[in-house]
Amino acid sequence: MRILVIAPYAPMRDGIAAYTVQTVARLRAAGHDVEVLSPFPSAAHHHVELGSVRGALRLLPYVRRYDSVLVQYHPDVFFKPGVRVFERERIAAALALVWRAARHVELRVHEADYAGKHTGLDSMATRAMWRAASRIVVHTRTERKAFHETYGLPLGRITVVRHGGDFAMRTDMSRAEARRRLHLPEHEVMFLSIGFIQPHKGFDRSIRAFADAGAVAGQARLDIVGSVRVEEPQYVAHLDELRSLAAAIPGVHLHVGFAGDDEFDTWIVASDCVVLPYRYIWSSSVLERAALYERPVIAARVGGLQDQVRGDSVLVSSDDELITAMRQFLAARGVSAGGPPPPSASPWPLGQTATRADVEREIAARAAVERELIGGAPATGVAAVGRARDARAASAAVRRLPRLHVAAPDSPRPGATFLKTVIRRLTQWELDPIVRQVNALQRATVESLERSAQAQQDDQPAATSRTLSPDE
Amino acid sequence: MTASDPTPRTGARIAFVPPRYGEGVVGGAEAVIRETAHGFAALGWQVDVLTTCARDHFTWANEYPAGESRDGAIAIRRFPTVVPRSRADRARYEGMMLSGDTLTLEEQQRWVNGDLRVPELFHHILDHAGDYSALVFAPYLFWTTFACTQVAPMRTILMPCLHDEPYASLDIFRPMFSGAAGIWFLSEPEHETAHRLFALPDNHRVVGAGVRIPARYDVEGFRSRHDIDGRFVLFAGRRETGKGWDDLLNAFAAALQRHGLPFSLVTMGTGHVSPPAAIRDRVVDLGFVGEADRDAAFAAADAYIQPSAYESFSRTMMEAWLAGTPVIANGASDVVRWHCERSGAGLTYDDEYELAQCLRFVAEAPDAAACFGERGREYVLTNYAPESVLRAQEASVREWLPSDPGGDSEAIA
Repeated sequence: MRILVIAPYAPMRDGIAAYTVQTVARLRAAGHDVEVLSPFPSAAHHHVELGSVRGALRLLPYVRRYDSVLVQYHPDVFFKPGVRVFERERIAAALALVWRAARHVELRVHEADYAGKHTGLDSMATRAMWRAASRIVVHTRTERKAFHETYGLPLGRITVVRHGGDFAMRTDMSRAEARRRLHLPEHEVMFLSIGFIQPHKGFDRSIRAFADAGAVAGQARLDIVGSVRVEEPQYVAHLDELRSLAAAIPGVHLHVGFAGDDEFDTWIVASDCVVLPYRYIWSSSVLERAALYERPVIAARVGGLQDQVRGDSVLVSSDDELITAMRQFLAARGVSAGGPPPPSASPWPLGQTATRADVEREIAARAAVERELIGGAPATGVAAVGRARDARAASAAVRRLPRLHVAAPDSPRPGATFLKTVIRRLTQWELDPIVRQVNALQRATVESLERSAQAQQDDQPAATSRTLSPDE
Repeated sequence: MTASDPTPRTGARIAFVPPRYGEGVVGGAEAVIRETAHGFAALGWQVDVLTTCARDHFTWANEYPAGESRDGAIAIRRFPTVVPRSRADRARYEGMMLSGDTLTLEEQQRWVNGDLRVPELFHHILDHAGDYSALVFAPYLFWTTFACTQVAPMRTILMPCLHDEPYASLDIFRPMFSGAAGIWFLSEPEHETAHRLFALPDNHRVVGAGVRIPARYDVEGFRSRHDIDGRFVLFAGRRETGKGWDDLLNAFAAALQRHGLPFSLVTMGTGHVSPPAAIRDRVVDLGFVGEADRDAAFAAADAYIQPSAYESFSRTMMEAWLAGTPVIANGASDVVRWHCERSGAGLTYDDEYELAQCLRFVAEAPDAAACFGERGREYVLTNYAPESVLRAQEASVREWLPSDPGGDSEAIA
């Protein structure tokens, strides 16, 4: 069978490109005549600049030549980020036309907008694009359901194919060999978070959880491995945040740079546990590669990951659970978790007799402990609780101010989203540092007020005891 | 005289003048006006609503047909809005205000006229003010109130729905407050704010707002109709930055991430809902829903969240409490804090960490949280039963305003 694969392709450093290479390898091994068309010059047989109506229509003569077309679908491939709604409609309509012209089209969906506004012409064009395909492939059952509900396609036309179905091992090194190759000590229990550095990957959560799990440097380590995929300011800012966190927490090592396929697998083999605390994602190839090498995974319960995890992997729904999972993993490896115990809270005041004041006191105390933990200051247990009760009033006026954030560049008005996106990009370099600084100032002010209130509180009993001293 | 035993005031006629009115209109002040108008009609008053053809308070597009229609016993008369093609000047003045600049009087005038205007409404009131015993205007901030209260101040009752916000300090609003025949406040903190900002007439009173008591709450039907399983917290109203919606989404996302809470966030009302990607599957937007579903949503929720710092009454909190649901509210609003403290039925938060802990309390101690809801229901029934509020409102109209409509017609000079 003559098959055309449309996808980002090697040597582009991209997860989908790597995925495509493996798919093409499998298809060719099965005897198919496979050619690849990529949107950028690459190792593919053809390339067409996509991201526009013209680009989409240029696919027409290609797709007619093949028995089957396999598209690794990611919206960024076909729609430029920030594309205007009108342009998006036209591109989707053009793609529908292209898919219709082909004999058979399979769309492997790596990402789709399930949560967007699905009304109007834009939605009609998008649905037409999906409906024009012969088959839609997703990686998890959860995603299949979301796709069906969002776009109204019959479930029979949406197939689940295991994300790692085409994956093959790229190294046969042992753990010890991998550690030597990466110059890592062999005896330390090693957590690994690997992949492109983007806020939604949640690597900052790995670092904080590592610290809060009480991991002791020298016995345990956390390696964060990855690169910034695109030099967007928010990604660069996130990298800065990871650098600061890694510098502040012993045992955390940040390795910035793209890991090639072999090196990627080497890191996984070297690790004892892969930590994937994604804030959102639909499916994870890292998780599949970890499974390939039988490395346990601690992953967030988001998207379709619950359908992907296997064996002794653990799903977590919160930072608290992530901390617990890492702590348990360390304990299972005979590494005692040092550091402060997790903040223990007294029970909630319960029943008819519990007054609003009782409950609010407890809320304030717990929130103060959490504020300290998240803010990076060490938790001080009971002392922090005590301080919270006294300092709450002092800092309330400042804490009530919402954290400054730049509004999302979206709008239901036609064209406004595009305009806002452009403005956001043009001003981001100036605005983002200001936003960070203002929020840091707010945090510092709260801390100052609370310390000052506490100092006054501390002074008071001393003065009282002096007054009452019989020696005076 | 009560709603259940009305003594009709033959010929007594009252007009309510909100900037928007209708079934699909979302807003606390608009809801209060509608309930009050129906209440007066039930008392035997001849009630007119004089309003615009707009439904959306951003575009002010004329969506309802101009002219007369009815809402039960109420006669509605709609007038088309006129909106400038460019609102750049208004936006500029608004920016100046919000950054603390002082506007000249001329700039303030340009600002207030730079949004919607309703010349036909103004002239209708100019022609017919004498037909009414009272004209009730709300809220203070809109052109319909600002402009039209100038027509017949001695027949004007202002229900300002005042918040402590930069606009309230504008000089142009002073005559509106000081010159009204009477002012109805919805809460004590609103009353205090008004005293701080304006010279008030003697005739002013905290009357509150009557909150309709639903006959039943069809929780199971609501869950089934909207395919909502599991525990959720609720926000109802305008999903706008100014109402704390964006902050709520961000804080809710952080709370879910940190504590793995069992809640979804169900929301109903108007405005764009765009949750952070991490919680898109945990935010359920019902859009605009009918009365029965709205009531049931309040009853089905584990807690109602009021994230707005600018409230003059917070009708949705009352609806939640009536349904026996505890409330978690932004402590930055004097009004909601006042309600929570007075009732002992609501928790307030000052930042996202406290909001997270409030949610944890509701998640981990549902029985104790339910006790809060019970106290809340008692509070609303004691203070905001529609009949008692209406009694206070009607008594004030009799006390403050001339009883012979048409006898002392006045118009601005």
